[in-house]
Amino acid sequence: MNELIRSYGKGLTAVFVTLTAFWLLILIILPQAFMLEHSLWIIDRDDQLGMKIDRAYSDLGLMEYDLNSKEGDEKTALQEEVDSLKATIAELEAQETDPPTVYGLQNYTKMSSLHFTIFVKSIVYALMVTVLALIVCYPIAFTIAKLATPQRAALLLLGLIIPYAINELLRVYAWLMILDYQGVVNSFLAWLGLVSFENKSWVPFLEYSGSVFVALIYAYVLFMIFPIYNTVDTLDKNQLEASRDLGASTFRTHWRVVIPHAKPGIAVGCIMTFMLSVGSYSVPQIMTRGKSGDWFSQLIYRQFFESQNWNVGAAYSFSLVLVCLGFILIMMKVFKVGIRDIAK
Amino acid sequence: MTATTSDSAVTVAAGAPAPAGRRAGTEWSEVILKIYIGVFFLYLFAPLLVMSLAAFNAYEYPSVTQWRGWTLKWFGELAEDDRILQGIVNSVIVAVGVIGISLPLGLSGAFILTRLQSRFNNVLYATLVSPLLMPGIILGISTLIFWGRVNVSGGLLLTILAQASFIASYSMLLFMARLQRQDRVLEEAALDLGASSFFMFRRITLPFLMPTILTAAVIAFLQSIENYNTTVFAIGGDWTLVTEIGSRFRFGLSPVINVIGVLFVIVTVAAATLYTIQKERERKRKAALK
Repeated sequence: MNELIRSYGKGLTAVFVTLTAFWLLILIILPQAFMLEHSLWIIDRDDQLGMKIDRAYSDLGLMEYDLNSKEGDEKTALQEEVDSLKATIAELEAQETDPPTVYGLQNYTKMSSLHFTIFVKSIVYALMVTVLALIVCYPIAFTIAKLATPQRAALLLLGLIIPYAINELLRVYAWLMILDYQGVVNSFLAWLGLVSFENKSWVPFLEYSGSVFVALIYAYVLFMIFPIYNTVDTLDKNQLEASRDLGASTFRTHWRVVIPHAKPGIAVGCIMTFMLSVGSYSVPQIMTRGKSGDWFSQLIYRQFFESQNWNVGAAYSFSLVLVCLGFILIMMKVFKVGIRDIAK
Repeated sequence: MTATTSDSAVTVAAGAPAPAGRRAGTEWSEVILKIYIGVFFLYLFAPLLVMSLAAFNAYEYPSVTQWRGWTLKWFGELAEDDRILQGIVNSVIVAVGVIGISLPLGLSGAFILTRLQSRFNNVLYATLVSPLLMPGIILGISTLIFWGRVNVSGGLLLTILAQASFIASYSMLLFMARLQRQDRVLEEAALDLGASSFFMFRRITLPFLMPTILTAAVIAFLQSIENYNTTVFAIGGDWTLVTEIGSRFRFGLSPVINVIGVLFVIVTVAAATLYTIQKERERKRKAALK
């Protein structure tokens, strides 16, 4: 703190600290904390409550009617019963307007088996997207960084930046037109005579989870290329030549020289691709359009905006956070990189 | 199939110095690598072509296969689409708000992390970059819940706050990279010569950071305009251009969306090309100096 104050004075230092504290607390920590808290309670609504109250009122009416025909001790006893019933009604009504909240892990443990299957499916698909993207991107990133001439590399990078910068909704939308009932692929199949539009024997690609998978890869594959390219680019070419001169095979050169150097980039690429795929709301929303089953992100959306069950929604969201956190920790362990290497 | 292709690609990748006997093999793998890269770029661009083409099809459902002749009428419809035009205005409002919040936050964070040696540095760093490593929907949801507690409901304001939480991290990383390259002698000299620290900050530190401030503003603007996953949870009853596009996929899908796509493609290609030409020139100038 002293060094900051010495260079920038107390006033500026106070501004820096205040702004950072605002960001840290109001935009990051507190929202996460409140989301976690929200996931840990339920509103304990008694479905029978309305009926109980109605019954109590009709009992009360009967008793008050009886009250007029009674005398002496009997009347006092009945009056007491009436009073206690009135108290009970007041209590029930208070419960109805302001139902008690109960803390616990119900929102997590009560995930239906259907929702749990979707949860697992989303994770598995995101893992497959990540692995496939890594296999596809590594050779391309390496070629651009080390094999292409500078001009060619600049051109190839331009070819990567353009699709990367175009909105993901619009890019995914293109696949909707390609895989639609009368889309590009089905038209091609019809041209081959394999399907026919007249009797609607087209392949309903959009009703399969595979179409979401295809679009996920298309949407996020470039998030794998750039981090790997950036790290491979800093590798000294002499190291490649040295490895070759010492008789290493191509595979061995990559395994022992290039990949160890590119580890932080590979880790970042995997983390970004996995995180974007598993938490993508746009891709499944566009590709399924209600025609095929939900993805986990869509389940979360429904909890918030359709069934208005924010507590369950918060629990599902926090589960997603845990999955991503777990994935990051595994990547850091596998590639032996620190947090500073990851976010650069 | 992917496995075999990439294996061959790797083979060439190292560019083995073809020992006489393997000459033919190397050439083969070079050809395969070229084909592989060609196919990959075809994969990247063909869908964009399909999307753009459908903007000129007279058929009212977006398609390239049910061709009903060329038309420009969807461009006209876009110009009269009030919700989309309002969406563009809202997107710009949000983006400007995000720039206004995330740049000062990112800059402050960068100053504290680069100038402060503390054992909490790593924890602070990890927390401040954590929004980048979290799915976008989570940022939207947590903002919605937190502000819901103080009875602020979804809208443009919450969208700005939710987006700023992660865009500030981007700015911070840019500022940190710049600050780490700073030679601090100038700052020290100014202070020694009696400049007030505020004067020094305004006349030396800020001018040094100016290029990064501009870059960070452009990146923040683009990130904000493009954002969907965070925005869709925080936007409430309002809408931005991108959330409006998103809702059209469910109701009212028409080639107007493709027209927006075409415009996006044109702007992106132009901007990216200019950027690349600029960078190429710089590279050549540097090469010439050497």
